[in-house]
Amino acid sequence: MISCSQLTKRFGAVTAVNALSLDVAKGTICAFLGPNGAGKSTTVKMLSGLLAPTSGQASVCGFDVATHPLEVKRRIGVLPESLGLFDDLTIQEHLLLTAQIYGLDKQQSRERIEQLLRVLGLSEGRNTFAGYGSHGMRKKTAFAMAVLPNPEVLFLDEPFEAIDPATSRIMRNLLVGAAARGITVFLTSHILPVVERIAHQFVMIRGGRIVWNSSAVELPSSLEDLYLELAEPPASEELDWLAAR
Amino acid sequence: MAGRSLRLRAILAALWTAARRDLKTVGSFSGNNLFVVSAAFLFLGDPGAFVAFSAFIGLVLFIPLSADPLRVLPRDRLAVWPLSAGELRWLRILSPWLNPVTWLIAALAVWKHVSIGLWALAAGVFAIGFVLPSLPAARKGIWRRLPNFPGPLNHLIRKNLRETLSTLDFWCSAVVSAFCLGFRAAGLLPAEALLPMTIVVMLALSTYAQTLFGLDGDGGMTRYRLLPVPGWQILAAKDVPFLLVSVLMTLPLAPAAGLAAALSALAMGHHASVTHHSDQMRWRFSSGVSFGAGIFQVVVMSAAAAAVHAIPLLVVLCAGLYAWSTWWYGRVMEQQQG
Repeated sequence: MISCSQLTKRFGAVTAVNALSLDVAKGTICAFLGPNGAGKSTTVKMLSGLLAPTSGQASVCGFDVATHPLEVKRRIGVLPESLGLFDDLTIQEHLLLTAQIYGLDKQQSRERIEQLLRVLGLSEGRNTFAGYGSHGMRKKTAFAMAVLPNPEVLFLDEPFEAIDPATSRIMRNLLVGAAARGITVFLTSHILPVVERIAHQFVMIRGGRIVWNSSAVELPSSLEDLYLELAEPPASEELDWLAAR
Repeated sequence: MAGRSLRLRAILAALWTAARRDLKTVGSFSGNNLFVVSAAFLFLGDPGAFVAFSAFIGLVLFIPLSADPLRVLPRDRLAVWPLSAGELRWLRILSPWLNPVTWLIAALAVWKHVSIGLWALAAGVFAIGFVLPSLPAARKGIWRRLPNFPGPLNHLIRKNLRETLSTLDFWCSAVVSAFCLGFRAAGLLPAEALLPMTIVVMLALSTYAQTLFGLDGDGGMTRYRLLPVPGWQILAAKDVPFLLVSVLMTLPLAPAAGLAAALSALAMGHHASVTHHSDQMRWRFSSGVSFGAGIFQVVVMSAAAAAVHAIPLLVVLCAGLYAWSTWWYGRVMEQQQG
């Protein structure tokens, strides 16, 4: 469903993503993990057509992202790093805009929007302008926009960060259910215990290169230990001045 | 006592830094077509026109400039800092004096050449500008209720209309238009003034056509790239509110010439809007990308307005130019990636 080969992105002298190749099968939840600045968001941007790669190829739902961007956009739902919200639209208006642009009929959009607002705890704040909403509220809105058109592939950049535990569980269950019904999910996250519970495939990236790519069953006992060993060895320093006065 | 003084001084210094940065943004009017043309009048030996145009700009800038400097400090931050009630009172008393408009109002109060009525008017407008941003309605976002538009881009058009209404370009054109309406109703506006005043109204609005995406921010630009719609539709959704406002503002004058000017301003502005993205600020004047682009836009826009005022059918030519520009720059938008 998602396939990329030798995908590379350079920003001047900096190589953010270096010859990345991977495949994600239909109905898989793929967790794309790595420290800040490793190239996760850049990869998501390239796969979702937000950023042109310097070299390499990517295809989503059988369409080349570079040559058929509109076909890809019609089939994917994206929660981008910047959330992609307009300050001058309310939460409900964002969902109505999405429904209209993806051609949902009135009945369908009304039902789906009501359900999403209810499930994600956005009902009360539905008339809040996105520019005035909390970060969690904004993230939930962007998540709702991604799933509303019932896409074939979901790209979610850090969906669980800044989300309350209850909604996080709802989103988790929702993604597991969607994957069981054939929707492919490609997500990045720093919350390892959450992704460990739901992902079928784990890809770790460090310095723009893949350092681990396996299915869940091939993982060693602890995802956290593996992550800290491969992707982000912890640096520890004591703040001695932080003490009782 | 020393601790209190230090805390207050630190907060006031931070507010002063923020106020200075805010003041710098006011300078955006120097890249606005209305100001550029008024400056040209000054060099052409018509200081009267310069003063009149500058008065409109100053009038419109006065309210946002009067805003309370303390508003930039988040309420929660102020609440968690270890400040006593006395310190908070002092902060309330001293912070307005970080705003130069406060000093201006104070100076007018002691200046003998200003009548009490004029001072009261200025102080009243200042008070409105001071309080307005803190009102709950302003904090929750104004322009909540706007008409719906047909088609799937309804909410995109409504959003764009909200953006247009939050620029000083719109308010400046509204002030000029209201003056013209008043003069026309009183029979004081001769027929030969209709076209020039239409051009003045459109001058006030036109710079925004060069910065159509300036208020969308990074998030908005990301969303545009994700929407499965052709670029020309995104551009058209930007243009509809501009055209609507233009026709509305020139209704008391020469609406056909106004429409021609609006179509031409957009056709000339698409290039800058799409290829030179620059962030704009709400409640400030739009600033064009370059002096040359502004002058070119003004010349084409004025010529189009004059031509259509003389031969109304020529509006079709303006519409054709606009349609081509929308299609072309829509394609450019689609090709723009990382």
